[in-house]
Amino acid sequence: MGLYAVLVAAGIAAAFFADWPRIRRIFFQTEIARDMFPEVLTRFAVNTLVYTFAAFVFGLVLALILALMRLSPVGPYRWIATTYVELFRSVPALVTILLVNYGVPLAFGTRIPGGLFGIAAVGLGMVAAAYMAETIRAGIEAVPRGQSEAARSLGMRPSQAMFSIILPQAFRIIIPPLTNEFVLLIKDTSLLFVVGTTPLTRELTKFSRDVMQENSNATPMVIAALIYLVITLPLTFLVRRLEKRGARGR
Amino acid sequence: MPVAAEPPPIQIRDLHKRFGDLEVLKGIDFEVGSGEVVCVIGPSGSGKSTLLRCVNRLEEPTSGTILIEGTDITDPNADVDLLRTRIGMVFQHFNLFPHLTVLGNLTIAQRKVLRRSRKEAEEVARRNLERVGLSDKIDQYPNHLSGGQQQRVAIARALSMEPEMMLFDEPTSALDPELIGEVLDVMRKLAEEGMTMMVVTHEMGFAREVADRVVFMDAGVVVEEGTPMDVLANPKHERTRRFLSMIL
Repeated sequence: MGLYAVLVAAGIAAAFFADWPRIRRIFFQTEIARDMFPEVLTRFAVNTLVYTFAAFVFGLVLALILALMRLSPVGPYRWIATTYVELFRSVPALVTILLVNYGVPLAFGTRIPGGLFGIAAVGLGMVAAAYMAETIRAGIEAVPRGQSEAARSLGMRPSQAMFSIILPQAFRIIIPPLTNEFVLLIKDTSLLFVVGTTPLTRELTKFSRDVMQENSNATPMVIAALIYLVITLPLTFLVRRLEKRGARGR
Repeated sequence: MPVAAEPPPIQIRDLHKRFGDLEVLKGIDFEVGSGEVVCVIGPSGSGKSTLLRCVNRLEEPTSGTILIEGTDITDPNADVDLLRTRIGMVFQHFNLFPHLTVLGNLTIAQRKVLRRSRKEAEEVARRNLERVGLSDKIDQYPNHLSGGQQQRVAIARALSMEPEMMLFDEPTSALDPELIGEVLDVMRKLAEEGMTMMVVTHEMGFAREVADRVVFMDAGVVVEEGTPMDVLANPKHERTRRFLSMIL
């Protein structure tokens, strides 16, 4: 009962003392919101998704290599992969992006091709790879030993057994955590602003921030937040359903 | 007239296998002749499955030699993958590939290892599926099949590589009692067709009826071997007698 009393009191206080017209003007101004469309969707949300896919694909390939290295019978491969994973899980994504953007041209005398797309793929992908490598390794280890024994007993080489028999089953197991990683990547693309963007390459957050500053109004950020929500919510629901189905199937 | 004798399919000499401090096989001498069906029986932990798994090197022997058709496969340079295409193996838990249909299970190694065309691999698969009486299940996934059907598919998968001999590792131990018969029937037919077979089993009825020779193992050694009549009906050794009295 006491807890409800607090709730009611807070509600009353908010209703009487907050400046509602002003809050509405700052956060929910329809004219500013309207002006953002359709570009906020057709260009900037699309940019966000393109950067996410680039990072995800690059990260997944790298993660697969790292996972196989971690399971390798060759010691040095395992050590390198373990070091990589520990390193990039400990360093903020922002730091990695900056290192990739400023360090690579200085060290190798050439920029990463593809502009922001390339930076997204390599910078964010390298971070995501550290997490996904652990996920993939766990997936591989979850496939029963008998599967690789059966494959080897039919004369398959270790690599054939891995790619034809083990990995297809492992990936089925790890689709939910990989989807989660994808959702995290969608949000992490908002870090890309630090390397500088052009008007056309901006992603959702940078674009909304620019509009926000032009108008001295927070509505654009609310729109950005809603669009992130619309993109990620279906994915998180999908993950939950897949996880339930996985739990039932086992 | 002396004929150049073909080396026997499986010939094992003084085989030892240890896992750490535990010696599981303590000097096994063992042979399977061409077209012969040998059943290996014995209590659990006697080393019989380990012996079987050494034959296609799923377990690495610690010492001793294993000759497959005269070739020493314990040689570090031996082509184990090639060897395994000639030795079919059937597992206790079937180990079918759950992400592939029955047809996929039967064709994947033919295509990847033997480099057969899709058409040829599918023909071989159909033929072997018919041998185990499951032609109508060709497009099913393994988890839609009963345990007995899964094991028959597993046998067909091994046969699709057209091996010269077959290893069976307790093929009916994971099955419900009413499903054991259908698997044993397939194995019996295979034996009648002249397949060389090494079978680790607890099915004494099958051993008595189908085996040419029965080998009793206990504590990592071959205690006694002979015709099913000798070993199962008139065991010479006390240990064999005790084991048989416990399971019959």
